[in-house]
Amino acid sequence: MAVFERGGLPTQAEFHEAISNRSDRWFAACLRITRSRELAEDAVQEALLAAWHKRHQFQGDARLETWIHRIAVNAALQLIRKNRPGVFEPLDTDIADNGDSPESDLANHDLGDNLAAALRHLTEIERVCFVLRHLEQWKLKEIADETGTNESAVKQALFRGVRKLRVKMADMRSQ
Amino acid sequence: MINDDILTLYYYRDGLTEAERARVQAAIEEDTALRARYEQLCEDVESFAAAEPVAAAPAAVARWHDSIERVARIEQQRASSRNRVFHLPSFAWGAVVAAALVVGIGIGSYFSGNNVPEPSIDNGVADTAMPEPRSPSVTFARGLLVHLRESRQELADLPMGADSERAMLIMQMIQQNRMFERAAVQNESQDLARVLRAFEPILMRLASDDISPADAEALQAQLAFELNVMLTKLRRNVSEVTGPI
Repeated sequence: MAVFERGGLPTQAEFHEAISNRSDRWFAACLRITRSRELAEDAVQEALLAAWHKRHQFQGDARLETWIHRIAVNAALQLIRKNRPGVFEPLDTDIADNGDSPESDLANHDLGDNLAAALRHLTEIERVCFVLRHLEQWKLKEIADETGTNESAVKQALFRGVRKLRVKMADMRSQ
Repeated sequence: MINDDILTLYYYRDGLTEAERARVQAAIEEDTALRARYEQLCEDVESFAAAEPVAAAPAAVARWHDSIERVARIEQQRASSRNRVFHLPSFAWGAVVAAALVVGIGIGSYFSGNNVPEPSIDNGVADTAMPEPRSPSVTFARGLLVHLRESRQELADLPMGADSERAMLIMQMIQQNRMFERAAVQNESQDLARVLRAFEPILMRLASDDISPADAEALQAQLAFELNVMLTKLRRNVSEVTGPI
């Protein structure tokens, strides 16, 4: 993995190396957020272009792959906000998301794990908040900033998400 | 009363003040039932592990590599042209104009609704095989209208000169265009997809560095004109189906 001295500019070859080594992980993270292969692919594409053009901002004490990963997740969030306006509006009611499209079904299948199946039962904001906090290890404040909500709404979404997942995962284990 | 929501925040080490954390910790140490609940929560939450990621499609990975190659190439061209002592007239300008004209013909034929064979564009080479246009769904058409309007505005607002912001904006326009091209394919509008595809080489030329400011301005004007034509026709088609937008 490419690790740079502070101030070092990532080269084209290092971008290619990062794509070869880590793009599956960027794609999977974006897929968990968007539940659409096409949006996930576009998010990675946009992230790579943004990272290339902003590479002078890259902090050399981090890994290039990690930096691009973060940009890709941000791009995925932006894409779903653009494609599904109001998606991060806080919900008053505890509604399960039973409206999966065939494409999101396919995306869940592609993720290939029990967690992905259980995530189907979360609303969009619950899923995104859970994925960002639990899998991506973002802080609640960062999630609120990037989703354009507030920390309290993120907490509530996370609580609901964790509650539902505990029930669903227990069901799956007992079957 | 410490509920599972508080325990969740305690588990994630997030969203609680230091004093609140200390209070929860003391309660867990003192209260056996609470400790059991917390241990169960930890066990449950730690089981939420993701499987190894499924590989992205090889075509997508190739596209990502390709996009880095292209932006790097554009930058190299820009750097090399900055080093030139004399600015040579752009040899490629003729090709750009020709490509823009072919796009114009393609768009005109698409919206004409007659059986005149329509040229397709693939790297500036036209062929004549063309299916009869089909109407895209109204939802898609409305989305496309917004995209075209935004593209026209972004084109008008493009910063002049050779800087990375300009190249990035054009690359974003290309990405958006590709999304709509794919959507057109999904809407069984192959001819419309082809017209959208035809914009890409011209946008790529616009992003490159060996084009003079005057040429770039002329090319932007030409593209804006084509977008206007497309918008007018598309708006009319949508209005015929749904009434005024």
